[in-house]
Amino acid sequence: MEKPVTRDPGFYVMVAIGLAVMFIAPVMLDLFTIMQITQYVVLSVFALSLGYIWGFGGILSFGQAAFFGLGAYTFAVASINMGSTTIPMVLAFVIPTLFGAALGYFMFYGRLSDVYLGVVTLVVALIFWKLINHTAGPEYSIGSARLGGFNGIPSIPTLHVPGDPSAWLDPGQMFQVFMGFLLVIYVALRFLIASDFGRVSISIRENETRSSLLGYDVRKHKVIVFAIGGGIAGIAGAMWATYQAFIDPNSVSMEMSAKALVWVMAGGVGTLVGPIIGCILLQWLTLQLGTVDVVNSIAVLGAIMMVLVLALPKGIVPTARSLLLGGYILWKRNQGQAISGKVVKE
Amino acid sequence: MDYTIVVALEMVRAVAWLVLLASGLAIIFGMMRIINFAHGEFLMLGGYTVVISTGHGVNEWIAMLVLAPIVVGIFGVLVERLVIQRLYGRILDSLLATWGLSMLMIGGVTMIFGNSVTGVATPLGGMSIGAYQVPRYNFVLIFAAIALLLAIWAVLKFTKAGLIARATMQNPDMSEALGIPTRWVYMATFGIGSAITGFAGALLAPLTGVVPTMGVNFIAQSFITVITGGASVITGTLSAATLLGSISQGMTFLTGPVYGDAALLLAALVLLRLLPQGITGRIFKKSL
Amino acid sequence: MTTEHILTTRGLTMRFGGVTAVDNVDFNLRDGELRCLLGPNGAGKSTFFKCLTGQLTPTEGKITFAGQDVTGALTHQIVNLGVGIKTQVPNVFDGISAYENVRLSARRKHLAPMARELTHTTLERCGITHLAKREVGLLSHGQRQLVELAMVLAGEPKLILLDEPAAGMTGDERDRLAQLVLESARSAAVVVVEHDMAFIRQIAKFVTVFNRGAIFREAMIDDIMQDREVQEIYLGKQANVAAA
Repeated sequence: MEKPVTRDPGFYVMVAIGLAVMFIAPVMLDLFTIMQITQYVVLSVFALSLGYIWGFGGILSFGQAAFFGLGAYTFAVASINMGSTTIPMVLAFVIPTLFGAALGYFMFYGRLSDVYLGVVTLVVALIFWKLINHTAGPEYSIGSARLGGFNGIPSIPTLHVPGDPSAWLDPGQMFQVFMGFLLVIYVALRFLIASDFGRVSISIRENETRSSLLGYDVRKHKVIVFAIGGGIAGIAGAMWATYQAFIDPNSVSMEMSAKALVWVMAGGVGTLVGPIIGCILLQWLTLQLGTVDVVNSIAVLGAIMMVLVLALPKGIVPTARSLLLGGYILWKRNQGQAISGKVVKE
Repeated sequence: MDYTIVVALEMVRAVAWLVLLASGLAIIFGMMRIINFAHGEFLMLGGYTVVISTGHGVNEWIAMLVLAPIVVGIFGVLVERLVIQRLYGRILDSLLATWGLSMLMIGGVTMIFGNSVTGVATPLGGMSIGAYQVPRYNFVLIFAAIALLLAIWAVLKFTKAGLIARATMQNPDMSEALGIPTRWVYMATFGIGSAITGFAGALLAPLTGVVPTMGVNFIAQSFITVITGGASVITGTLSAATLLGSISQGMTFLTGPVYGDAALLLAALVLLRLLPQGITGRIFKKSL
Repeated sequence: MTTEHILTTRGLTMRFGGVTAVDNVDFNLRDGELRCLLGPNGAGKSTFFKCLTGQLTPTEGKITFAGQDVTGALTHQIVNLGVGIKTQVPNVFDGISAYENVRLSARRKHLAPMARELTHTTLERCGITHLAKREVGLLSHGQRQLVELAMVLAGEPKLILLDEPAAGMTGDERDRLAQLVLESARSAAVVVVEHDMAFIRQIAKFVTVFNRGAIFREAMIDDIMQDREVQEIYLGKQANVAAA
């Protein structure tokens, strides 16, 4: 775990897979499929935001959609007003980050327990959802952008080349840019987690008391981790808004927060690849089930969540990893008794 | 003058409302330190019990006061046996599991009854205070909240079950060591908390109508009331409900209902920054 | 109050509900002094330590460390002034390696290359270099104690608080520990809580005895060993049992 990122072969494999998908998919696949998988890319960024704060900061947010929605609405309002998408994208990171820092200040400097933290994050997202839902009237506009309440905001500009608002990206290019975002965020998080800051976050997750007994300010650390997670969720929200060219309060809903949790749980807490895999797998599953009319998608999400908690608490990736590791150890043991004897002695 | 009375009455109603919403949740939180994230759907289940049973010709008061608590109480016991008891000691997992349950219930009920609002007639009609028309049902809510708190207080204070409950609340490990079967206590707690929630859900059915997703409208208020109140069931719920109910109702009078909830949250956040264990974590520590 | 005292408490009191765990304690520790704290279980030694490190906020009284009033300060603030503590139950990061555990402490004050160096030398000093790559959660109790001690030492504190450091250690490990404590006392003030008399005799000079949250006796180790009343509070329980 303490290996530098640059010496971890898994890291290169992931980046290589990412780059391969980024450049080969647009050539191989038809437009419709590309647009479909773009959705997975966007939601994977959202999954990463929660995977990071939960797995590497020990902060379980039940309202991660608040940041996703805040980023989406920030981007929508800013891009409609400015007619450009570059600065709005930056704002969609900055504003949720600041909001995360402010909320984090109240929660972590107040030293709220886990349960309280869960409830507060959930309620924040819920109230944000309620507020947005009530902004249907024309009096609720920011500049030339009407918030639209439960109707949502239509005609959100498509992403364009920075500095040239007329050079819109076509769906293939959009896919590649978003894959780029996902890769950059993944790589940045890997390095962040391996940095001194990241190691301290992990130590806080492991044992908060000891971290403060070593002189680390646990509260400050958690606020920063939480804010970074918020910023990444905000970017995902902005990507979602420009991808759909539309945003409505569903992006802030409890269902959205729950989805992120389920992806991370399914993929495995404490990994970065896990949340991405969980996201793709479960979104694909939802899509398949969506074609069956009888089954309600929320019921399915709920059922998966319960099953994950009760039956597979570690998630797919760590479970697979320990299975593989177990197999490897068994295999090694069969290789020669002499070696294993030595290991035991040590 | 009349207006003042009406406003004051609305304030009291708002407080009573929060007490009803949060009491069942508070009992579970006080005893087990977990929040039932499916709380909103337990309310919904209480509402549907009223709709279905009155639809079959049952008297509406019997449906609200008797059937709803029983049905939801039994459901709560089942949930505790099948889900919660597997997750003792894993607090966050129990939150996740109950959230999963919440979505399963919303989806399940939608599949059965469809996603439409079923109205329930408000009993008793209205009365006038001066020029203002006030629903008599408001007094039912206020009375129910008072009766509920008194009942909880009496049970905790004067019965053997209450003594066991108080002991478990104070120190679960010690109670276990003294031979109190904490697992049964938890099951009973969850059942009773659920029954009270079912009762609350039944009472609010005439006001809001019943729909599978109705729970989401109430959980923010319920959760905030319970965690700002802290671990003591009666003092915590009452003090938090009074404080938050007045703040949100005051805000509603000033700006309309949209910001009432937001004000509630903001007040709760500031309060929790100052008193991280809730009101009864610092003040009124030894109360029930 | 003289300036050569690195740590003083005045009227330090900690109450939990009706129980007074620490009762009006006036404690003085000179810079570079090695002090042992004795006392039966429940005498308030661990609570006293928790007050000193800000894990508990004392009900009353004042704590001064290195000339600064630290009463009510937060744990990390006090630690950053130069206090290191090994808690009674090993308080380590179970999921990560011993090396990483110690490095987290060393990195607090030093840049990465220096921290690496310091981590290696500290592991060496504590005789646990061979455990560096092992996950701490999988080590024995005694080994975890040594890892925690290494973490404390790597923070280069001016005051070291050790709460039952010898518990769960083998004879060899305990000898090394005694050596380490004596060594550390050359560069820092050390307070050791311990029940293991063999260990105490290896290191102790001046001893403070706690009983029922208050300071019961302060004297040289030899006098303490002879003290009938001290023997009584330690043996009281057995004596009572025998009488009954």
